[in-house]
Amino acid sequence: MAMHPMEQFEVKPLIEHPLFQIGGHDIYFTNQSLFMVIVVAVASLFFTLAMSGKRMVPSRTQSMAEVSYEFVANMIHSAAGDDGLKFFPFIFTTFVFVLFCNVFGMVPWSFTVTSQIAITFAMTAFIISMVIVVGFAKHGLGFLKLFVPEAPIYLLILLVPIEIISFFTRLVSLSVRLFANMLAGHTMLAVFAGFVVMLGAAGGILSILSVGPMLMIIAIMLLELLVAGLQAYVFAILTCIYLNEALHLHDHH
Amino acid sequence: MSDTGPDDLKRLGARLDDAQQRLAPRKTEPPPTQSGIAFRFSTELVAALVVGGAMGWGLDWLFGYFGIHTKPWLMIAFVVLGMVAGIRNVMHAAKEINAQVAAQGPAPAARDDEES
Repeated sequence: MAMHPMEQFEVKPLIEHPLFQIGGHDIYFTNQSLFMVIVVAVASLFFTLAMSGKRMVPSRTQSMAEVSYEFVANMIHSAAGDDGLKFFPFIFTTFVFVLFCNVFGMVPWSFTVTSQIAITFAMTAFIISMVIVVGFAKHGLGFLKLFVPEAPIYLLILLVPIEIISFFTRLVSLSVRLFANMLAGHTMLAVFAGFVVMLGAAGGILSILSVGPMLMIIAIMLLELLVAGLQAYVFAILTCIYLNEALHLHDHH
Repeated sequence: MSDTGPDDLKRLGARLDDAQQRLAPRKTEPPPTQSGIAFRFSTELVAALVVGGAMGWGLDWLFGYFGIHTKPWLMIAFVVLGMVAGIRNVMHAAKEINAQVAAQGPAPAARDDEES
């Protein structure tokens, strides 16, 4: 029984033949792509079906959809103000995608899409580029004032590069936060699952002891469910905060 | 009953506004846990270093492409700037967390029923 805790994160092509090529690289349909398709399909289906009744007094599924709508709308309103609400569709999509990916990853034998740094980094890179584009579209070259703190002119030579570096730091910190949380949680689950198998196979008194890690798995599972929701929330609210900075430019010091 | 209707509604509206104002500050920020703070600080430090190094390396490459040889120097300078930026980010994050804790401080009752 060769079980490795990191085995669950292996990306492997589901179809042997590459779908197409981009710049000489083969593009495969992997288990990761499959789970992204499933997540997007389930999320779209859920929200379409939940709102199809459009009842005045909502049914259970409809109120779930409505609550998530209000939750995200309030979040944007508190973090980015009124003009942040223009970005509601984008932020809601991001939030729902991350949340569904995280929660789907909790299902045994599934694949956690958000535990891949490639995915989280691509999402963050898109968000940061969008923030830059929005900033330039709204303020023109005045957006560059974000990188110029109030200081004597001779210090600016040092301070401007520091500000620019700390702006792009978000690219790493936002993507690493989501990826590391998911990776750590799932690795921990797999390690404890390995203990159960090893103790169970040891026989005698040790087999009885395997109940311990089993209970531990249940506890971690609940914790992971919390982390899944919390990380989706953190990802979405940080997107709002960065958007707010691009929209309003004011004192972030 | 029917002529007090609008009044009732107004009173209900006032009560709803009241309740919403009381509950509003709670959903703005997640309470930072200790491991959350530690994780945030360490990623901020390392991320700034990595980003600074990558930017310096990229600039070196760019200048080299146009025939100006700055090869290791910009990267060295930007790694140092990255360290500075990382410390600045940590101080900024600490200030933010302090403000969050201070905002939660005066309402211990609201915190208690969230914890339980």
